[in-house]
Amino acid sequence: MTATDSGRPDRFRFLASFIAGRSLGVAEAAPGETAHTDGRFVFVSAGHPASEQRREVLLQAALLGAGSLDRGRVRSIRGRPKVARRYLALEGRRVFAELAARVPLAAALRPDGEPITSSADESLEVARGRGRVADPPQWFGVIRPARLLAAPHGGPGARPSDDDLRLEFEPTAVPETRGNGDEEPGEESRIRRLFENPLFNSNTLSDFLNKLFGASRSPGDGAAGGELPVRSLRRADRVGPDARPLPVPLRFAREGPPAAAVSVGGALYPEWDVYRSRYRPEWCRVIEFPLRAAPDVSAAGVEHDEVLRRRLARLGLGPKIVRRQPDGDDLDIEALTDLFVDVHAGYSPPEHIYLERRKLARNLGALILVDASGSATETDPQGFSVHEHQRRAAATLAVTLEKLGDRVAVYGFRSHGRGAVHLLALKPFAHRFGAGGRARLNRLQPSGYTRLGAGIRHAGEILKAEAGTPNRLLLVLSDGFPYDDGYESRYAEADARRALEELRVDGVGCLCLSIGGSTDSDALDRVFGSASRASAPTLADLSPRMDELFLTALEELAAPNLRSPRRARRRTASGNG
Amino acid sequence: MSTQTGRLIRSTAEAPYYRAVGDEVAVFRAAARRGLPVLLKGPTGCGKTRFVEAMAHELGRNLITVAGHEDLTSADLVGRFLLKGGETTWVDGPLTRAVREGAICYLDEIVEARQDTTVVIHPLADHRRQLPVDRLGISLEAAPGFQLVISYNPGYQSVLKNLKESTRQRFVSIELDFHPADVETEVVVHEAGVDLETARTLVKIGEAIRNLEGVRLQEVASTRTLILAGELVAEGLSLRSAVRTAIVQTLSDDPDVVRALGELVDAFVTP
Repeated sequence: MTATDSGRPDRFRFLASFIAGRSLGVAEAAPGETAHTDGRFVFVSAGHPASEQRREVLLQAALLGAGSLDRGRVRSIRGRPKVARRYLALEGRRVFAELAARVPLAAALRPDGEPITSSADESLEVARGRGRVADPPQWFGVIRPARLLAAPHGGPGARPSDDDLRLEFEPTAVPETRGNGDEEPGEESRIRRLFENPLFNSNTLSDFLNKLFGASRSPGDGAAGGELPVRSLRRADRVGPDARPLPVPLRFAREGPPAAAVSVGGALYPEWDVYRSRYRPEWCRVIEFPLRAAPDVSAAGVEHDEVLRRRLARLGLGPKIVRRQPDGDDLDIEALTDLFVDVHAGYSPPEHIYLERRKLARNLGALILVDASGSATETDPQGFSVHEHQRRAAATLAVTLEKLGDRVAVYGFRSHGRGAVHLLALKPFAHRFGAGGRARLNRLQPSGYTRLGAGIRHAGEILKAEAGTPNRLLLVLSDGFPYDDGYESRYAEADARRALEELRVDGVGCLCLSIGGSTDSDALDRVFGSASRASAPTLADLSPRMDELFLTALEELAAPNLRSPRRARRRTASGNG
Repeated sequence: MSTQTGRLIRSTAEAPYYRAVGDEVAVFRAAARRGLPVLLKGPTGCGKTRFVEAMAHELGRNLITVAGHEDLTSADLVGRFLLKGGETTWVDGPLTRAVREGAICYLDEIVEARQDTTVVIHPLADHRRQLPVDRLGISLEAAPGFQLVISYNPGYQSVLKNLKESTRQRFVSIELDFHPADVETEVVVHEAGVDLETARTLVKIGEAIRNLEGVRLQEVASTRTLILAGELVAEGLSLRSAVRTAIVQTLSDDPDVVRALGELVDAFVTP
């Protein structure tokens, strides 16, 4: 209501839409420009107080609503600024007077003087003539015929018109291709693309053949039935910059058993380039393989954390009514009836006659992704390295979740540049977390760097394909900054955050735990969001609030995507082959 | 769990106020004569419940209303055994009561209930007109005046909550919508007790919000919200703050949307 609000003209959008009778946005014009409209947006003069902007919105929207800015009329005043100005002065007064009868606000803001015309055509006639017309006030703004005629029909969010749906595009609308980094798959030159135009080629070819052989038109060639003017086709070989490229599965050609049989898989993943606001397609090669260390079963001990078990056991994700309980909120009438029937018949059964409503249904699939990079080697005062802490935490979490009947997988992850991001399968979903898996986890040695985004993306794919549960959670155990060759600070953070967004859109919750780290990393907070990240010296410190952490991470999914897990699995299986 | 889920409205001397616009009254009368079940469709707060109350009064029948909620079980509708002084006695649910008495049973927002619950009404809603009560081992014939009316608010509930095809095809559908401006003004005047001018402004605001194009509001200003605002005005509040509290703030929690709606409303109630 005050002048401080003047920077947010968006607030007038409902008002504008109502008065214009169609969907209309409101934005600020460039500094120095006066108010105008392009038929989809009303541009108000920048920096003016809200009351002034409200007036401007009212007038421009009223002009649109009254049809004063119809294409035909605008065309006739194009290139004639003097006529346009007179027309605006006349029409503005006329539509405002009309609006004032309907809307009290317009009556309050009405300019002085009665309108001297009664229709748009009359205004146009008078504007073209020589009679004296009072100048429009400053807030009437201007009519900009060029912008009005250039804008497509309809406002933002309006229904597409036939023009929009027609397969037609102008060659100038081909997006300019820029030089794209060092090694991205090259784009073909525009000149070659012109020659590749399939219609152009087939037409010339068939014309040539027709001349040569004198062939008649083949049926189905004619224009009958279709009024679809196809002038050119656009090859959809490249997607827009905001579209997320899909991972491209790698194919392994080698002797011996096929890769899928020995659980080797991988894919090329895109990476988000924050500086250019676009994806770099097929940028990171992620390879997933089982860690083949000789299992040393003596090292298979896993700490048992009773607090963690109890906390996670509470983690029910769906309500369930339990009947015939010894205690509860409600009477289970049927059990009660049965009890009385039994008592009258001479039996004395236990009095389990209550209903209890508990969140019991679990249905959780969790993938624990352990940071196995070299940065995790620093040690704490007790002589345990961060990596050691993370490993123990992963083992304890995996054992606890598995005992509670959830689906669990444990993967280690590290990278050496974008060509070699490794995901080490320590415990895939399909295996039990037996002595072998525990021993393998204990033998995981830290090395390499942290290309977090690619690791998250592949772990997400595994989770989506193999977990097979409606609730899916990615648990990242990491402490340090995402860092790799050409993967630093802002770029790395943005990519990792993007990867997490992708996962959340696909219905996978994400949680990051930093265990044993000496310094608190702001970078990970920024990547995961402070609600989905926790850090502590040991896992036991986090155990008392683990259920809360899990639930927060899962609740962040606004609309979980309950895709059939079988279909997704089939897709990756064929990709691995 | 209470057993008295149904609300019984005896037909009283004073008729509930309902202003008919289309042929809904004629359709309902015809359906009532034949005992056909009726499905009322329409946006929130457009007068579905009021319509049923008015019709029940006109037909001189009792009306039993059950509000659907997601824990509504078939026992809540049909009835259950209760413990009374060491003995179990059967207590009729609202639906059974209506079947026995020949009353109109109105199941409000029935889609909110689980689908297995709604199946109970199937044998009542077709030519059989029977209510099987399996716990008693009997099947009740519906008394002559019995009529089933359900209401349904398309688009408001989630995709998961839709009416089963097999359920909807048993019903005669009456679609209700917001009344035309002049009729709605009359309704607001009558219900809220405000003067004609205030009612006109309120209805204009309601229509402006309903006709916004390209805006995703979950709900629009219903007749009920307009009446609420009118009642505040009748209690001496200024029109502007009544509209702000009863309409603008209830429609959205998003501060941007609230601000934009406030601007739109201010066009009618200039500060």
